[in-house]
Amino acid sequence: MPITILPPKQTPQPSLPPHDIDSDSDSSSSNGGADLSLSPPSRKSHNNNNNNPLFTNLVTPGTLITPDPQWMRGHGTYIPPSHPHTIFSSLAGITTRTNKLISVTPLRSRYTPEVGDLVVGRIIEVQAKRWKVDINSTTLASLPLSAINLPGGILRKRTETDELQIRTFFSEGDLLVAEVQSLFQDGAAVLHTRSLKYGKLRNGLFVAVSGQSGGSGVVRSRRQVWTMEGRNGGGKMDVILGVNGYVWISKHVETIAKELEQKHMGITNMEENVSAGVYSSQNDGIDGGTMREMARLRGVVVALVENGCRVDEDMILRGYEEACEMALMMGEGGVEDVYLGGERGEELVRGLRGR
Amino acid sequence: MPLDTSTYGLALLRVDGRRWNELRRIHAQIRTQAAADGSSYLEMGHTKVMCVVTGPSEPGPRRGAAGGAAGGGGGAGGQSKDAEVVVNIVIAGFSSVDRKRRGRGDKRTLEMQSTLANTLAATLHTHLFPHSQINISLHVLSQDGSLLAALINAATLACVDAGIPMTDYVTACTAGSTSTYAANDEGADPLLDLNHQEEQELPGLTVATLGDSDRVVALVCESRVQISRLEGMLAVGVDGCKQVREILDQVIKAQGQKMILEGTVDKGTGLNDMDLD
Repeated sequence: MPITILPPKQTPQPSLPPHDIDSDSDSSSSNGGADLSLSPPSRKSHNNNNNNPLFTNLVTPGTLITPDPQWMRGHGTYIPPSHPHTIFSSLAGITTRTNKLISVTPLRSRYTPEVGDLVVGRIIEVQAKRWKVDINSTTLASLPLSAINLPGGILRKRTETDELQIRTFFSEGDLLVAEVQSLFQDGAAVLHTRSLKYGKLRNGLFVAVSGQSGGSGVVRSRRQVWTMEGRNGGGKMDVILGVNGYVWISKHVETIAKELEQKHMGITNMEENVSAGVYSSQNDGIDGGTMREMARLRGVVVALVENGCRVDEDMILRGYEEACEMALMMGEGGVEDVYLGGERGEELVRGLRGR
Repeated sequence: MPLDTSTYGLALLRVDGRRWNELRRIHAQIRTQAAADGSSYLEMGHTKVMCVVTGPSEPGPRRGAAGGAAGGGGGAGGQSKDAEVVVNIVIAGFSSVDRKRRGRGDKRTLEMQSTLANTLAATLHTHLFPHSQINISLHVLSQDGSLLAALINAATLACVDAGIPMTDYVTACTAGSTSTYAANDEGADPLLDLNHQEEQELPGLTVATLGDSDRVVALVCESRVQISRLEGMLAVGVDGCKQVREILDQVIKAQGQKMILEGTVDKGTGLNDMDLD
């Protein structure tokens, strides 16, 4: 990504030292212009941010939130040993309150996993009985061998044979979609892929955007996975929005569940019909139209993030419509124009916000 | 050209036209690099520094092998309970007036790395991220004195941008004295925020404090100075740090306000709404 360095602005005049400014002649010598007295620090109260009511909940590290002992401290806050019962902020962010619990949501941070989150990850390391998966969190997540579906859908204990064949399921660099099953004490996540919705990813492209708590980025929502029609002759596309800010856009492939439905087979033996194909790393053929629409969709996601919008199903669908219209407006060969960076991205987001 | 400090007492102005208690122009920006977890760019006068923070994240595979050679490791290394703070400083060859190539093992750079790592490890809440690593890379683009102070300020901004919890801002600035050690002048006055010329000629120190308290978290003095002058210099330095904190705080708040106005973050439910239920 490019480095952006803005031209310098007029900075506000630094506040003058508390001492009388007229006495700044050199005769004031040793007591200088500063105060080293041991008086308690005059911390700022939370409501001197600005007069705008919108900004009253904006705090920065070291801001006093409340000296009242009735509140409990949550994430993003701390109680210094020197001031018991006094809650200070440790992050730049927005205060949120749940009953008596006060926490600070950071303006931006890494992804913090929570049980039940849908995440897209990449295998970093293969160990004897588990994989280590990068999910954009502070530590690598672990995916135990026992938490995946075996090809063929057999339900049995994992044996040494499986351990020896661990790379036939996932190997380094593979992308997968999984769910957070539990959390370790230190916040590291344990994943599972024991559903037909989860598993290895192929036939598509990967986009990393900032995570859920980053303001702009993927937000937790009702639907994180959906299938949409590609316009301009593109086929169906699947979109997976990982809560961790990893996005997967792929060509839609009819799932086994659909096939079974057509064959009028029961849902109970669905698991048994998981073919060996689920762990294939071979891409299917993707036609040019679908590829182009997938690239356009990626452009929409990146443009949304760059311009500080939330990334969810509604925004992406509307953004995609807008992008298609923009491409058509470009006229000749416009359909081919999938570029949505820079000014075109801004135009897209302006169009979205204008509605 | 040697710095003529004889005029300092008379004209009350320094070579660059400042008074004894004035900071240079500070310009700061955060979120300069979209791909990084946290980033900042800071100018203190003509000292220009860029900072990128990666993490907290899983430590790289070369853990243990490199040991102390891989920059300053603050806190305890290894599989410790706390996150490890690793600082890496790169000083560009073109950053100073005389083009100098500094290798990776340059002692002065290593010293600054470990000072910075220890300072930040003490202030960041590293206990929240066990078994992980916070990588701070700093690039010096231009040098004009107060380099360590600029590095500390830039690193603080980038850590705030990365959303790493910390006790308070760590802000730093330099202070000096108007006459040299050799002059043995008892009546020498303190100076705030030394530039390169002053730093070469006059005794000076770098002081970093925590927030707007008087708690000093780092104090580096590399020149000879009479102990009687130290108190005045320290007092001026600590006061400068508070001014710097205000400026940095404005930068962070401006970014937060921009994000609220754009609607990328919620307004939040705060203490003002608290008596509703």
